[in-house]
Amino acid sequence: MKPVLQVRNLTKRYGPGCPECLERTGARHETNQCPRCRSILACREVSIDLYPGEVLGIVGESGSGKSTVVRLLHFDFEPTAGEFFLDLNGNGLTGVGPGQNLFALSAFHRRQVRNERMGIVYQNARMGLRMKVSAGGNIAERLLTAGWRHVGRMRNRASGLLEQTEVPVERMDELPRNFSGGMQQRVQIAKALATRPAVLLLDEVTTGLDVSVQARVLDLIRGLQQELGVATLVVSHDLGVIRLLTSRTIVMRHGCIVEEGLSDQILEDPQHPYTQLLVNSTL
Amino acid sequence: MTPGLPSRAGTPPADWRDTRPPAGGRYSYAFLDEGAKREIRRRILKAAAIPGCQVPFGSREMPIARGWGTGGLQLTLSLIGPEDVLKVIDQGADDSVNAVNIKKFVTRVTGVAVTTDTAAATMIQTRHRIPEEPLQPHQILIFQVPIPEPLRLVEPSERETRRMHAEADYSRMWLYLYEDIVKFNEITVGARYPVLVNCRHLMDPSPIPRWDLAKLHQGEALFLFCAGREKRIYAVPPHTEVQPLSFEDFAFRVEAFAGRRCARCGSGGTYLDEVIDDATGRRTYACSDTAFCEKARRSCGAAEDSPTREGIA
Repeated sequence: MKPVLQVRNLTKRYGPGCPECLERTGARHETNQCPRCRSILACREVSIDLYPGEVLGIVGESGSGKSTVVRLLHFDFEPTAGEFFLDLNGNGLTGVGPGQNLFALSAFHRRQVRNERMGIVYQNARMGLRMKVSAGGNIAERLLTAGWRHVGRMRNRASGLLEQTEVPVERMDELPRNFSGGMQQRVQIAKALATRPAVLLLDEVTTGLDVSVQARVLDLIRGLQQELGVATLVVSHDLGVIRLLTSRTIVMRHGCIVEEGLSDQILEDPQHPYTQLLVNSTL
Repeated sequence: MTPGLPSRAGTPPADWRDTRPPAGGRYSYAFLDEGAKREIRRRILKAAAIPGCQVPFGSREMPIARGWGTGGLQLTLSLIGPEDVLKVIDQGADDSVNAVNIKKFVTRVTGVAVTTDTAAATMIQTRHRIPEEPLQPHQILIFQVPIPEPLRLVEPSERETRRMHAEADYSRMWLYLYEDIVKFNEITVGARYPVLVNCRHLMDPSPIPRWDLAKLHQGEALFLFCAGREKRIYAVPPHTEVQPLSFEDFAFRVEAFAGRRCARCGSGGTYLDEVIDDATGRRTYACSDTAFCEKARRSCGAAEDSPTREGIA
C-alpha cells in the first residue's frame, strides 16, 4: 500500500550547526545538544510513513521532539533539512505536482496544501481557535480559505460538524472562550475536519483535560477516525492515549526515533531500554 | 500670507521640469523638490503596474498636518503641470475649508487654474467621494487616504498583513464579514468597504461610500490613492476589475435612498446627504456632490429631473 504521508530525514536545528552535530547527538549520546557548537537538534533525521486510514502514535518524554515533528509537518515553522511527501490523491492542487517535496514549495502553496489537506488539533485551544470569533466562524474560516462563498452552506456544514463532535449546535454563534476546555477541544476537532483533510494531526489533544472529559474526547476522536477513515498522527506523552487510539507507534527520545512498531507490541514487549522505562513508569 | 512662500509662483519656467526654482522663489515649482517629485512619480508607476498593491514611499513634511490630505497633496504636486486644471473636493463639496485651503496652496505654488466643474478639470483631488459626473480618460482622480491597509481591521501587525497580501490570504477579511452577517444579518461595513482589485489585491478604497464603488470598476480615469501619514501609494488604472467582497447569498448593497430626491436640484440617483433644519427639525436631502448639484440646477432651471447616471434608488 502507498503511504499517504511520507517524511524523510526531517531535521530541525536551533543554532549555528557544525559537521559533528548529527554524530554527537541523539539517543545514543543521551543529548540533543551538540557538545561542540551548542546547537540544539529538536529532531534529527526522523522518517515516518503514514498509511491511509491508519492511526500512528508518537510517544516520548517532554523535549523529545515529538511536537516539533508535528508542527514542522503543519508548516508552522521551517525545517533545517528533510523531505515531506503527501499523497494528494490524484486531484492535485495547482502548482503542486505529485511526488513533490512539500518543504520545497513556496509559502503560498504550502498554505494551500495545509488548508485543503491537513487538519491540526493543538493541546491549547488558544493556538487552534480564534477566541474572538464565534465557534461557527472558526469552522467557516477553514471553509472560506478553501474558497466557500455561501453563508448558508457554510453554516450548514459548520452545524453538521458541531453535531458530529457533540457541541450543542445552538451555541454555534457563541465565542469559544465561553466554552469549557473539553468543548473547545471539540470545536478544534470540528475545525480540523472542516475541509475533509487527508491527514489529521493531533498534538497532545487531551493533555490538560480532566479524566472523564479526556475519555469522552478520545472516544469521539476514535469514533470520527473510524467513520471518516482519515489518516491520523497522534502525539502524546500519555501511553493510555496511545493504547486507546493508535495501531502503530513511534517512540522518540532526544530528537530521534528509538523504537517503532505495533502499539500492542511496544506496550507489551518494549525492546529499547528507554521504552522499557517509559512503559514501566506508567503501568 | 504665509511668510517664506512666494505670493504666486507667477509664470512657471519655460521647461517646468527644470530643477531650478522659479525665478525669485525659494521653492521649486509645485513646492516639492524635484527629487521628491521624481520618487513619487516612480512609485505611482509601480502602483499603477500592480493595481491595488500598496507601494511605500518617502512621505514629505507638508505645510499642512498629517491626516489632512498630505498624501493626496503630494500626489497632486508631483503630477501637476502648468496646463492642468485642478478641482479639489471634500466629501463632494468644493467649498469646504479643507478643499479651499488645498486649492489655495496649490495655486500659490504652481499658478494653475482651478475649477469646480468636474468635466473641465484634468486633475481632481478628493476626500471620501467620487464625483457623480462620469470621469474621462484624460482625468486623474487623487484620493486622500487615512488608512491604506484594508486588513488593519482584522490584523494589527504590518508584517502579518504584508504576508497576507503576498499570499493573497484574505480569509480573515471574509471571516470578518461572515461574523458580521451572523451577528447582524447583514454586512455593516459602511464606508471603506474592502474591494478586490484585478482579482488579486484586497484594497481599501478610502472612506468613499459603497455607492461610489461601482465607479471604480472598469473606470475611464486613472485613480490614485495616497496616505501621507502611512506612507503608501496605490492605484487603480483605467479599465480594471474592482469587485466589492460579497457572499453568494448576501450580495453587496449600496446605500438606499428610498426614492428620495435632492431638495435643491431635484436629482434622483445621486448620493444624498441628510440635512436637518435645527429650528424646525425638518429632514431634507441634498446632493453630496455640490458641483453636480449646481450644474443640474442651472441646466434645468432648478425644476426638472436631470439626466444622471442610472443609480439604485
